[in-house]
Amino acid sequence: MIAPFFILYFTFSLFPMLFSLGVSFFNWSGFGQAKFVGIENYVRVFHDPNFYKAIKNTVIIFCFSIPIELALGLMTATALKDFFSRTRGAFQLFNFLPYITTPVAVGIIFSLMFDWKSGAVNALINTFGGTSVYWLGVPWASRAVVVAMIVWKGYGYNMVMFMAGLSTIPDELYEAAKIDGASWWQGFKKITLPMLKPIFVFVVTTSIINAWKLFDEPQLLFSGEGQPIGGPERSVLTIIMRYYESAFRQFQFGYGSAIAYVLFIIIAIFSIVSVKSMNRDNTI
Amino acid sequence: MEEKKNLLAKIPVNVLIGLLSLVALFPFYLMLIMGTHYNEDLYTGIKLLPGNYLWENLQTVMKIDYPRYYLNSVTIAVCNTFGAVLVSSLGGYAFAKFNFRGKKGFFTFVIATLAIPMQLGLVGYVLEMKMLGIVNTILPMIFSGMASGFGTFFMTQFIGSSVPTEILESGRIDGCTDYGIFFKLVFPIIKPALITIGLLVFLWSWNSYMVPLVIVTRKECYTIPLSIAMISTEFRTDYAARILSLAISTIPIVGLFAFGSKYLIQGLTAGSVKG
Repeated sequence: MIAPFFILYFTFSLFPMLFSLGVSFFNWSGFGQAKFVGIENYVRVFHDPNFYKAIKNTVIIFCFSIPIELALGLMTATALKDFFSRTRGAFQLFNFLPYITTPVAVGIIFSLMFDWKSGAVNALINTFGGTSVYWLGVPWASRAVVVAMIVWKGYGYNMVMFMAGLSTIPDELYEAAKIDGASWWQGFKKITLPMLKPIFVFVVTTSIINAWKLFDEPQLLFSGEGQPIGGPERSVLTIIMRYYESAFRQFQFGYGSAIAYVLFIIIAIFSIVSVKSMNRDNTI
Repeated sequence: MEEKKNLLAKIPVNVLIGLLSLVALFPFYLMLIMGTHYNEDLYTGIKLLPGNYLWENLQTVMKIDYPRYYLNSVTIAVCNTFGAVLVSSLGGYAFAKFNFRGKKGFFTFVIATLAIPMQLGLVGYVLEMKMLGIVNTILPMIFSGMASGFGTFFMTQFIGSSVPTEILESGRIDGCTDYGIFFKLVFPIIKPALITIGLLVFLWSWNSYMVPLVIVTRKECYTIPLSIAMISTEFRTDYAARILSLAISTIPIVGLFAFGSKYLIQGLTAGSVKG
């Protein structure tokens, strides 16, 4: 009964992975003769300025997006739990909708909303007397737009996670605190936050892992502009975008695969460290 | 006194959540509205009320073979969903209720697959599909999501905690085969989990952009996300029509999730709370 899973997994996931691993030791464009080059592709990854740029961009983006996402998710979750009862379901769905929207749609809508001349955001800024910002033409502004996209798309997912965590906290704790004269804020600080710690760890870990794999949104933000990959001065170039560019635009299958494997190692080290630290916390 | 205090706290919270929901919904609203305007009008300022150009935009959308891409997307997502649900629940059933050699190792493998980024094998996948000669069909996109490690893991947890072993034994006494028990007795019990995995796989498949992007070379095999992203070149001036096609592709999935959000939210959280 586990056979279908493993057969399908071996054929359509594991085999391609091993194949890619093999290809990463060759120079090959998919046609003609492949040339064995040993670890040369990997050496090249570590000398590729664009690769370092992609790492830097990713770290900058998630240093902003993850805290904002967490705060918004936690805020909506606690607010919905404590202050809404009849309309909770509807608000939950509203705030979750962005998460299920096609990334292509998110990219295109945001590129229109942040358009320099006709976008809604600059229109709003102008109404309040500010001057238009050339959002998609300046590196820092472009990163801000990508952060906005990620936050908009992701906080609803965090909200759902936190709501599940909140539902496991027994009501008696809050009642006892109330009898002792604790305010809502004290209850939040002394009961909610500590009890949600496992969820925090889980959400932060998965958010960072997903951030390393960022591709769709920044790619599509600049798809309609005829701009080079990665936006102005490649300020939103991510590792997967660099991978896509090398492997599928320039047809350097070997080099692309090497990038993918280096990324995999980054994610693997990160996952192992976070799983280890989670286990350590649990035993205390 | 108590009541009054609650009310005072309630108003700012209500306003805050209301505002946030507005921000969450605004891009959707904008999408629906922009699709009903004449393209040139979109550049003259922000539109907040529906226009009267819906029909003409719809005709432009139809001209680019949109129904075909829609059908591709539906076919891929539906095949993917049924395949993944069946494969995951079978695997989960075996892991949760049977003892066999190497079970622990196999299960560790399933968990390990969760940490592997899909992009890792993409080069190999494209080459493999080329060798199999199916690179110009929609099959590669159906196969790519079928063996879901997450689905199998989730089903194992769910079946392990919600299907009593006695039911399986009673089925066995009545002379059912293992597959008979699975389809007749286990399936009805795990319906919520089936819906959860089904919705998630459908969502991932429907929204998938990178796999079609690197695999599809013929226009006939475009999926909706790909067609919208790629056709920008032919279509580049007509943003209104593009947005309308986005709206048409987003509406069904929103409907699906409005109906299934309860199950979905259960499913998304199951991993984190138990884990």
